[in-house]
Amino acid sequence: MGNRNIEQIAHLMRRAGFGATRDQLEEFAVRGYEATVEELLDQSHEQRMGDDVIRRFHPELSGMMGPQASGENWLYRMATTSTPLREKVSLFWHGIFATGYPKVIHGKALSDQVRMFRRYGMASFRDLLLELAKDPAMIIWLDNQDNHKDAINENFGRELLELFSMGVGNYTEQDIKECARAFTGWTLGNREYMELRSMRDSDWPYGRISWHFEFNEEDHDDGEKEFLGQRGHLNGEDVVGIICQQEATARFIARHMYSFFVADEPPVPEWPYVEPADPAAIELLAKTYFESNYDISAMLRVLFNSEFFKAQGSWYRKVKSPVELVAGVLRLTSEFDRPRKEILDRYQQAVFMGQYLNNPPSVEGWHQGTDWIDTGSLVERINFSSQQLGDVNRPGVQTMIYRIEAAGVSLDSSESLVDACLDQIGAISVSEDTRQELVNFASSVGSSGVRSGRLDQAGRQRIAEVIQMVASTQEFQRA
Amino acid sequence: MTTAQGKTKTKFLEYLRTVGMTTMEGRGFYYPTDTAIGPNGRMYVTNKSLESVVRGVRVTVCDLDSDYYGTFGFYGENEGQLIWPSACTTDNQGRVYVSDEYTHKVSVFDDEGNFITRWGQHGSAEGELDTPSGLALDSAGNLYVADTYNHRVQKFTLEGRLLLSFGRQGDGPGEFDMPWGLAIDANDQVYVADWRNDRIQKFSQDGIHLASFGAPGRGAGKFSRPSGVAVDGEGYIYVADWGNERVQVLDQDGQSVQILRGEATLSEWAANFLKINEEEGAARSRANLEPEIEYFVDEPHEESSHIEKLFWSPVSVKLDPAGNLYVIESNRHRIQVYRPGA
Repeated sequence: MGNRNIEQIAHLMRRAGFGATRDQLEEFAVRGYEATVEELLDQSHEQRMGDDVIRRFHPELSGMMGPQASGENWLYRMATTSTPLREKVSLFWHGIFATGYPKVIHGKALSDQVRMFRRYGMASFRDLLLELAKDPAMIIWLDNQDNHKDAINENFGRELLELFSMGVGNYTEQDIKECARAFTGWTLGNREYMELRSMRDSDWPYGRISWHFEFNEEDHDDGEKEFLGQRGHLNGEDVVGIICQQEATARFIARHMYSFFVADEPPVPEWPYVEPADPAAIELLAKTYFESNYDISAMLRVLFNSEFFKAQGSWYRKVKSPVELVAGVLRLTSEFDRPRKEILDRYQQAVFMGQYLNNPPSVEGWHQGTDWIDTGSLVERINFSSQQLGDVNRPGVQTMIYRIEAAGVSLDSSESLVDACLDQIGAISVSEDTRQELVNFASSVGSSGVRSGRLDQAGRQRIAEVIQMVASTQEFQRA
Repeated sequence: MTTAQGKTKTKFLEYLRTVGMTTMEGRGFYYPTDTAIGPNGRMYVTNKSLESVVRGVRVTVCDLDSDYYGTFGFYGENEGQLIWPSACTTDNQGRVYVSDEYTHKVSVFDDEGNFITRWGQHGSAEGELDTPSGLALDSAGNLYVADTYNHRVQKFTLEGRLLLSFGRQGDGPGEFDMPWGLAIDANDQVYVADWRNDRIQKFSQDGIHLASFGAPGRGAGKFSRPSGVAVDGEGYIYVADWGNERVQVLDQDGQSVQILRGEATLSEWAANFLKINEEEGAARSRANLEPEIEYFVDEPHEESSHIEKLFWSPVSVKLDPAGNLYVIESNRHRIQVYRPGA
């Protein structure tokens, strides 16, 4: 099996998931690239750490009274699921439909939103937008509980068009008003009590009560409206239907998808003024959007099988977001074979690097790409990756060392050792400069570590140190 | 009263009251995991709290009348401290035994909460522990410990000397998958909440398998991750059917004779809170706390998260000498108490 084949699938797994171990890559390679894409899209046979086990040892990860539980719970999923694309797509939507704890102050509501992304995020975009409009956390985040028949609040209507579906320049201020009218009466059940408790961050008397959507017909404006050129007694469902018919929507979602999965596009506010890097790719995805009746999975299938995604020039062009980096490292180390107290620390590492799940910096979500990197966050990223992957007590690291030993890699050759480590950490290919630096490092940490034909403790440590150094390369920090 | 199976039960449970409320310190509970009722009639409630704060972990001492006596056993790895308190029991001298899933030890306190000793070594060899959870004492004063990740039950003297070890990982008779709650009946027979096998298993005091009750499911007599078990003097078995968010009562043959789903009311502490915090109390009185909702995930855990009176993570069940059943709910930070009916 050619290494090019393995590397191609490694690229797919970094983008459509959180990376893969060498063992997993080999399994996928046997099945082939297109079959692996289909497997990623198939969510029916998920295996992961069970919610029951997580709840047993971390009751807060289901009770969710604090601000971090929803993210910790999610990180467990990302680190252990056999269907990583679902989590990756949920992360994609979380970045677009960015909803944050400081205003919602209800971890369970935010976790429920992520669960909604899991359920609807890879199906019809129309269903997803409709569920988003009914999502209690989103209702509070964009004040739709204050959107009344006789006094509209435009927040949700405006962001639905500007940030969630079409982008500026494709609708009028009047469309925003009409959109808001259509969503009057879409509110939170027990709004007064729930909102008050949220404002007071109240856990009393018996912990949090989950939020639910309520349609208040008496507060809904059923009058005639004109939205994007269509007239009628339009309600929220009609408005979502009309939005989904728009060319602008198809291109907006396609560009987001390209930016997240293929290569960084500029921040959304620049989109009206800057052409996409690959207009043909956007056209292809937009065409698929309509042909598939707005099916997100169909768009993803086309994207992952396209030459613009598979081309070697696309590899390592994305900077891993902090959560992607942390989840990827945890999948490699296999640290969480059971619930452990350390999940909080691992989760907080992503926060220190700049990504606080369920707490994006604004309604625009996180800026991607090199914006993830500054002097402080780079140190955090490298420290975290190298500490975790240099720990010989981690099961995943032990497996890598074992495989290097079993393959008979000569520790006398620093070149062979470096190549083996790059391979074991997920079939990473690095620049010649990076490789030479790694070889120099491997030479500096001892010349052998083999006793009577078997690795001794010093040998295992030496391999771990090289793995540790690989984890600090820019190629590992990228996807 | 006759059950659906045509059997007669002498004592059906009736809701009595709720004790507790959410507090991170002092009077109240914070993710409670278990309670033990001492000879002094006091309840010792272990609280696990959450990972991100050191507050919250403690043993709260109170009673059925909501009288509050203090706390002990705060967060830490030193003697007298706890990290992941999982279960507790008391002996005839009122000493309180608390298992800690993080330190893999059993700590012993006197009835006033003063630390006496602790023991337990992390490992998988006989006598060692990996994530100890459920605790129960037999009539001879020996302590049974659910040794969760070793998938077995071990019997120790109160000083921690190993007497017996039984079970291994599996789903056959006498095998376990992450056992949790324990109970011992009047004949020193041992009942184990075989958590991930969705069943209760019964053993002789020598660890000989006697019976298994239940199978995975949501119907009567079925279980989803049972976490706690208690047995009364007549041999009725009370099960914290954790994953089904309910309590089931089984007769001596393991037939389901009653199912409780929860009917909490305001505890004395909760009522006091809402009286002081008038605005919240008023908003609450205007809310519909039993809304009809279409859940997109059809599972009891979701329903319980929305309907506050229902059990939410009923983790343990304990009986007092009067036959009252205490249902400890982790996610609602309270204990619903049921009394034997007429």
